[in-house]
Amino acid sequence: MRDTVELLEAIGRDATLRHASREELAKVLLAANASAGLRELASGGDSTTLTKELGLEHMHVEHTSQTGGHEGDGHDDHHHHHPDHDHDHGKDDKPAQRPDDGADTPPA
Amino acid sequence: MTVLAVNPDDSRQGSIACVGMGITLGSHLTPLARSHIETADVVFAALSDHLVELWLRRLNAEVRSLQPYYRPGKSRMKTYREWVELMMTEVRANKRVCAVFYGHPGIFAWSPHKVIEVARAEGYRAHMEPGISAEDCLYADLGIDPGRVGCQHLEASQPLFFERQLDTTSQVILWQLGVVGDRSLGRFLTPDAYRELLTERLCEDYPSDHEVIVYRAPTLPIDGPYIQRMVLRDLPRAEFTGHETLVLPPLHALKPNARMRARLDALDAIHGAGAGSATPA
Repeated sequence: MRDTVELLEAIGRDATLRHASREELAKVLLAANASAGLRELASGGDSTTLTKELGLEHMHVEHTSQTGGHEGDGHDDHHHHHPDHDHDHGKDDKPAQRPDDGADTPPA
Repeated sequence: MTVLAVNPDDSRQGSIACVGMGITLGSHLTPLARSHIETADVVFAALSDHLVELWLRRLNAEVRSLQPYYRPGKSRMKTYREWVELMMTEVRANKRVCAVFYGHPGIFAWSPHKVIEVARAEGYRAHMEPGISAEDCLYADLGIDPGRVGCQHLEASQPLFFERQLDTTSQVILWQLGVVGDRSLGRFLTPDAYRELLTERLCEDYPSDHEVIVYRAPTLPIDGPYIQRMVLRDLPRAEFTGHETLVLPPLHALKPNARMRARLDALDAIHGAGAGSATPA
């Protein structure tokens, strides 16, 4: 069985495969001895088997705060920013414990 | 291929490069970003798909995922500050650090900008390399040219938190629909009622039957883009995974600026208009 990540990288950089139809892709993956999970995902969009094969986990994609709203990152530090209290235009760049920070510590 | 070599610098000093992985696995990573990844002592990763992280681990064995620092109910700002400290710890240890973010590291991402600011303030080399962003994919997949009538990009919560003026003559593009309206920063997907409120706000500027587009760029090269067209009032019933972006096409045509056009007429009368007329004085 071919390595799934290698196959995906190969498809991603190949102009003839990147926009191939599902049928064409299914043939290519079968010929390349792709895993059942990858073939399932490529043909029907179901990731259940591939998730089991590789132990895939959900990834969080939010990398910025949405409670800012002003230019400059000082306001991104304001967790409980309310429009009614929108008087504070000062910078606040120093990391500090906040009321909603919680006490949990991530794994090292 | 020409290969160049530089003499290794024995006087090691910490540095950090924040690079973008692009959106689609295998398709978007730039040669320069790849080089930063492959030559780093330590690589931190904040990516959008576990498969992309597995791919990154093939490029450098010293990958440290930033995902475990998220927690439900924990402010993401705390998480982002922790990321900055993790990265700076390695920079201060005189490591060559690469921080990899999906898409473009400088777009809708707090910690890359912050860590560069902190590193420079402490005298370390730090810079950012651009990557192909979801915005870039959106232009390609939806056939939008931002130069035609312009694009107004907003984080989706801003029209709810602030008195924002939406430019209905341009493309209005709202990002982070999944967490719209979340002031706690502790949620990864807000309930549908929050998108109903956003729809109510948007209906102040657009008719409820205005056609809008919910868009999601593909992270895997075996997928195409997710493009769902609907009328605005149906937005709360759209499928949301947390990766979606809303596009509101122009409602009104551009209105000519008669006053400035008259001024341009006056300038053209003095300087001429057309080929060969712009001779420098």
